[in-house]
Amino acid sequence: MHEATTLRTLSDPGRAGPASRLSRLAPVHWLALAFLAVALGFAAVAWATGNGFYLRLATEALIFAGLAMSVDLLLGYTGLLSLGQALYFGLGAYVSALVLRDVSPSFWLAMGAALLSGVLAGLIGGVIANRVKGVYFALITFGLAQVAAKSVYNTHALGASDGLIGIPQIQVGFGPFSLDTADPLSFFLLVLALTVAAYAGLAYLMDAPFGRTLAAIRANERRVPFLGFNAWRYKLAVYVLAACVAALAGALYPMLRGFVSPELMFFETSGNAVITVIVGGVGTLVGPVVGSLLLTALRSVVGSWTEHHLIVVGVIFMLSVIFLRKGLVGALLARLSRRNGQGRSTP
Amino acid sequence: MTKTTLLGTAALVLLGLAGGASAADPIRIGVVTPLSGTYAPIGQQVRWGLELATKEVNAAGGIMGRQIELLFEDEEANPAVATQKAEKLFQVNKVDFLTGTVNSGSTLAVGQLAERNGRLIATTVSFSDAITTDKCSPNVFRVNARAGQQSAALAEWLAKDKPKAKVYYLGPDYEMGRSTVAAFKAAAEKTGAQSTGEVFAPLGSKDYSQYFGQLRAARPSVLYTSTAGNDTVRLLTQMSEYGLLRNLTIVGASGTVTAQNIGAIGKAADGFVTGVGYSAELDTPENKAFVAAFRKAYDTAPDLYGADSYGLIGFFKAAVEKAGGTDTDPLRKAMEGLSWNTPQGTKTMRAGDHQAVQDMYAVRIAADGGSNRFDVVGTVPGDAAIGPDQCTRF
Repeated sequence: MHEATTLRTLSDPGRAGPASRLSRLAPVHWLALAFLAVALGFAAVAWATGNGFYLRLATEALIFAGLAMSVDLLLGYTGLLSLGQALYFGLGAYVSALVLRDVSPSFWLAMGAALLSGVLAGLIGGVIANRVKGVYFALITFGLAQVAAKSVYNTHALGASDGLIGIPQIQVGFGPFSLDTADPLSFFLLVLALTVAAYAGLAYLMDAPFGRTLAAIRANERRVPFLGFNAWRYKLAVYVLAACVAALAGALYPMLRGFVSPELMFFETSGNAVITVIVGGVGTLVGPVVGSLLLTALRSVVGSWTEHHLIVVGVIFMLSVIFLRKGLVGALLARLSRRNGQGRSTP
Repeated sequence: MTKTTLLGTAALVLLGLAGGASAADPIRIGVVTPLSGTYAPIGQQVRWGLELATKEVNAAGGIMGRQIELLFEDEEANPAVATQKAEKLFQVNKVDFLTGTVNSGSTLAVGQLAERNGRLIATTVSFSDAITTDKCSPNVFRVNARAGQQSAALAEWLAKDKPKAKVYYLGPDYEMGRSTVAAFKAAAEKTGAQSTGEVFAPLGSKDYSQYFGQLRAARPSVLYTSTAGNDTVRLLTQMSEYGLLRNLTIVGASGTVTAQNIGAIGKAADGFVTGVGYSAELDTPENKAFVAAFRKAYDTAPDLYGADSYGLIGFFKAAVEKAGGTDTDPLRKAMEGLSWNTPQGTKTMRAGDHQAVQDMYAVRIAADGGSNRFDVVGTVPGDAAIGPDQCTRF
């Protein structure tokens, strides 16, 4: 599978001229574009019918999609299972909440502070977790997140088990323009734009030599040094990158909901992100986004019918593991490429 | 008849129908409460209490001729889920009022959401003092007793029953455990108790015997503990095995010994005293009727949460009738200062901080192996237990 991918990218540039650049887009990017169109259509309908709740629910789904994307970077591209990604999501959320509440109600300052905290915490966590491999890596990431969650849970200054409320709704300034996070449509569009930007940036990076090296690590880490690369450094880099993506996604949460609570760091949040990635499609980046929207909608609808909604989500998870090995997006891509008669594999 | 008149008549009929329908429209109350997970037993009592009261009010003609409709959502005891569900109830189901949140984090987050949606909520379970003190909200009411009322009631009973007692404190080592001990210690010292020492054991400790040496050396006559769940089971059974329960009165927080863990504690729970807002053994006609109806409907006795939730419907009904509708501002005004009857006695909603004032009870557990009773051994009047109004926001 990886050989095929490499061959394609090696042979593609010579074959395709600038005119056919769009047609050269991989099927997964077409899916992402289709998804964007659906999202915009949804926003238009929700706005026209004055349905703020569904816009805000979709915004929340996109925020958790950011967390799922960061899990996918590790799991899908590098082969590292993180069971504690909520640590960085919660860190970003708390940093953003504290900045907005106590320092200045500035969107950019909050995002900057969250990013910085993501880099620092990611470096520390990455150095610790990357000492080990496989299941031990999963356990270390799980443990780190538990330690952080319990510390926050018991810190009076951070609101302890009650969390922090009173995070103001803010104006996000873009030069002469500004938008209000209290307005469901504006904030949805902002988060959608950020999600698309994150997708585009990460997809580009995963197609660049950096991503190729990660794929090599996933395929056979011990042979990577023979190619002249230091696998540890790449693993640390992608871990920090994933921490930053999760922290930035987390930073948006208090802007939407106006509070943070230690539950955001709990295993439930990390576990849900892993489920989202697996149901949506591992190693596709767009899969986590689709998965997050789907599962959020499902939880909201099924949760109103029955208190046994966790069983429903569990059954869907098992079914997708058994029947859709590459998740929804993976299955869709396989069907698309079969129809086109090209044996193209997904990146 | 021309087409226009026909249309006009049809429109009039429709208008009439619409007008008639709005008067008989049900009043919707959203209930965001944990129906799955660790807190599900509490959510179950909340649900039963609300459903029983709603059934009774609806059978008697509803509120101003309108039936009450309850809409349940599972909050999984997670504020992130609770706010999402509450927003759905406010904006999609257009509920007139909301209740049910159990953990304090959910109550605070949903309270803020209610403010931003211009609606009112009430909690019937959360007892964190913050909800009606430094984090109080004009849109949040609490009909149950807060932690401060519980410790004040217990301290009052202690001062009367065991004046100048020598008290030792043993709490679980986390934020809530420590703050509960600190609150009771302050209340007990104010009523004349002497503190002989304190120790904090990690949450989920398996072995408490390592603390027994310090405990014995301090020679207390009373031990206060704020452990909960299985920690209490281990603490009390181990103390019993070491013979430490003799000549020692054990008192504690209201969540220390509950219907959920009393079976596992067994005889070691005998004599445990706590300060609480309700006991199913309360000897009043209102409570006897309530307990009988509850048992008949659900085949189990109501606990504190069931009783407080049952009482909420009476509070809401009285307020809506006083306000003449469910609009937020008049309803808030009607709720402030309102007195209403519950199985727990008359409660009064204090206007200054939206905290209900109620008589508090010292409850002693009588466990003789098979059956357990929560006997009321003392009553502390509401005014003595409530403490000052510390809410400055409204």
